[in-house]
Amino acid sequence: MLTCQRYETPRTLAEALALWESAPDGARLIAGATDVLPWARDGRAGDVDLPMMIDLSRVSELSGYERHGGRVRLGANVVFQDFLEDPSLAAWLPVMPYCSVWFADDQIRQQATLAGNLVNASPAADGTPPVIALDGEIELCRISNGAVMCHTMPVAEFVTGPGRTRLAPNELVSAVTLDVAEGYGASFQKVGQRRSLVISVACVAALVKTDPTGTRFEDVRIALGGVGPVPQRLGDVEERLKGEVIDAGLIADVAAVTADRVASRSRVEYRRRVVPGFVRAALEEAVDRARSDRPAAANKEAVNA
Amino acid sequence: MPEIDLSLQVNGRKVTRRADPGQRLLDFLRDELNLTGTKEGCGAGECGTCSVFVDGKLVKSCLMPAAKADGAVIETVEGLAKPGTLEVIQRAFHKTGASQCGYCIPGMVMAATSVLREAPEASLDEIKERMGGNICRCTGYSKIIEAVELARDVVSGKATPAALEEDGPGESYIGTNVRRLDAPSKVTGRLKYAGDMVMPDMLHMAVLRSPHAHAEILSIDTSEAEAMEGVACVITSEDVPGTDGFGVFVHDQPIMARGKVRHVGEAVAAVAAETETLARLAARKIKVEYRELPGLFSPEDALKDGAPVIHDYAPDNLVKHIPIRKGDVDKGFAEADLIIEDEFSTQQVEHAYLEPEAGLAYVDADDVVTVISPSQNITHHRHMLSEIIAKPINKVRFIMSPVGGGFGGKEDMIYQGMLALAAMKTFRPVRLVFTREESIIASAKRHPSKVRYRMGLKSDGRITAIKFEMLSDGGAYGMSSEGVMRKAAILSCGPYEVDNIQVDTRAVYTNNTPSGAFRTFGGMQAQFATESMVDIAAERLGLDPFEIRRRNMMRAGSLTHTQQRLDSASIDRVLEAAERASNWEAGAVGMRGPERGDLNGPGTRAPCTLGARFERPAGGKEKVA
Repeated sequence: MLTCQRYETPRTLAEALALWESAPDGARLIAGATDVLPWARDGRAGDVDLPMMIDLSRVSELSGYERHGGRVRLGANVVFQDFLEDPSLAAWLPVMPYCSVWFADDQIRQQATLAGNLVNASPAADGTPPVIALDGEIELCRISNGAVMCHTMPVAEFVTGPGRTRLAPNELVSAVTLDVAEGYGASFQKVGQRRSLVISVACVAALVKTDPTGTRFEDVRIALGGVGPVPQRLGDVEERLKGEVIDAGLIADVAAVTADRVASRSRVEYRRRVVPGFVRAALEEAVDRARSDRPAAANKEAVNA
Repeated sequence: MPEIDLSLQVNGRKVTRRADPGQRLLDFLRDELNLTGTKEGCGAGECGTCSVFVDGKLVKSCLMPAAKADGAVIETVEGLAKPGTLEVIQRAFHKTGASQCGYCIPGMVMAATSVLREAPEASLDEIKERMGGNICRCTGYSKIIEAVELARDVVSGKATPAALEEDGPGESYIGTNVRRLDAPSKVTGRLKYAGDMVMPDMLHMAVLRSPHAHAEILSIDTSEAEAMEGVACVITSEDVPGTDGFGVFVHDQPIMARGKVRHVGEAVAAVAAETETLARLAARKIKVEYRELPGLFSPEDALKDGAPVIHDYAPDNLVKHIPIRKGDVDKGFAEADLIIEDEFSTQQVEHAYLEPEAGLAYVDADDVVTVISPSQNITHHRHMLSEIIAKPINKVRFIMSPVGGGFGGKEDMIYQGMLALAAMKTFRPVRLVFTREESIIASAKRHPSKVRYRMGLKSDGRITAIKFEMLSDGGAYGMSSEGVMRKAAILSCGPYEVDNIQVDTRAVYTNNTPSGAFRTFGGMQAQFATESMVDIAAERLGLDPFEIRRRNMMRAGSLTHTQQRLDSASIDRVLEAAERASNWEAGAVGMRGPERGDLNGPGTRAPCTLGARFERPAGGKEKVA
């Protein structure tokens, strides 16, 4: 059971940071709050009395998103359901709708933020593999000499282990910045014990861009989650495929060696069987979608003309 | 406790209250506003019984601090329709019989409402996907999904509102869908389960549970808890005035641990206090000194010589042994052309009814100790409690509240005694609502069982003899083990007439969570072994799996395993229906090569996946990827 002595709902980043800097030991930042309440239960943290909760969900600077050229900056309050309901985000980040539909359920996605998923740093997080595949950077802010100071770091460096990140005391996450991958085909593969509301035993996020003829890999992004303490980008797989002719045999060959990437301490044999199949399925599905989106885009232009 | 001011709009009305800063929206709605249609099934966002709309978006109110909803517009199940009326979706649930125990239903109605608002043309698969956050344990979902499809069609005009009306009985009620009388109270959230009930001056109970599987209790110090402001009483086994002990067959379980604990999660002491938070805080202040004892964690170990003894009355750790003998198994095996042997094990299973255990007890003006709870066995509970609290039967009353799913798991009187004791000690009403974690740790489970099987058959598939030995883990207390073993023995060899059988089923005590009643009551464990053996035999003998069953099935006039002469038997019709429904291609295993016509196709489901909403044709509200 969670009890709390003080609940603050700051409206600006400066207010939030000032509260956070002077917060008593044990205070918690929350955004969607979907993880804090289940945490304060028997079998996990038990009954918890927090001196303070700072709810960031109404901080104006953390809401919304902006596109800057080839990058999109997502405010820390962007929730998973946004990737399913906002056509711009779905077009720019085509892997996110597929990731989101497997994340928790429609109701929790209304509250749970992508930034919160990164900060929790669960090895089974669904949000980290696509973010890493899209060269995600996380923006961290704190108060220094009375001014708001922010810096960014790659998410691949930010997450250091299960539940561990480089978030410093007094810092909070203000944004996540990702590559725009418009025109890429995408896929998200996940297995857990059921469909909804389940954490990944293993998951794979993949994005593929083909050449204009749809016969060669122009760009490939692929990352694994759930199979080790931190998510893994499969840089070697990407390099082997880029520029090559798209071929089922080649995909199968590169997928076959990915079983070695499993670094989990449990269910290793199962994960070693699942991962190569997922990598192959994800690449094949992403290729199919990359190809099928091209004529669709062409048709749209024809209609507009 | 500190408090904050909240101002919300709930079901169209402005609401201003002071609330605890950490209070969940769920508790705010239930405790402050008495909107108990919003239920708590898990408290962890897993089950969806607490789904409400916040600013038009469906969320799980157990995951939302109430303060987060400050200023928001809230809709609960009570606000969907005007009092005394039903919305289309509620009428559809009523029509299709979607509500059974009803505990998931308010959340399901809310989730269905969200589907119809967000995706009014959702396909069957999309409906299932969008309702994936809500669990039902009774229905298997079919009737719920059917209701959502019906409501969708009525709303979109594909079906007329008349489709929501009850089908007339026609010539006969048999074969006609009849609407459930209790459905309107369930689809509107009006029905009060025990955990929804309040009484003036009511206390809240919290239970201190054992962290050990097997330990002697050296001392219990309740002084600090009892001295706390707001604590009305602390109870232990010392407070039991009569003969302690309950159980469906053997009364081996004390109201609270007496002298020693026998499983992790066993109740040791309980606190009744002004609030639930205070009761939980006080329970943590109770000091218990334990001396750990060697534990038993497998039924095989329980039967070994020199094994620790869990109950003094049962030095061999045996709860019950049920033997059945028919014919002469030695002769039967001697006649066999094929003898196969194997071992089958099944695991512990939790019922996971959506309503966690809850109860409310009080002593009325005539000194009648009254317990309201979703007990599946109130008359037996009443008789047992009268002995335990040493009161004549006319001074003990049990009221059965609506059962939010039981499946056998609410047959055991695992908390009603504590409530009665606290009510007797304080003369105030006392309520206890289990958390989901408590429900899982303290309630009975399906027996984990191992079956050693020996089966003899003639080459034509007829079974000549069966030797069936089941060893079940009864856990720390007897509960329904005796009956479960009896049923397992009776059903052991399945609906097959076998002349020579030797069946032994045993349940033994261990320090695991007690096993008890669970749908099929031992039948499932036995049938898993028997049907697996029949399939193995069919494969070994090159017979069609249906054919080998027909050659052995009971018929009118057959003698059962317990030597009852049957007047009728229906297994022939069951096999015929199953064969037809599965489009079965006759033949022995492996005779048809890799291409079988009875796999996939109509009536089978595609692999479990998500993403139905992406398949929606253009023009749908949501086509984003």
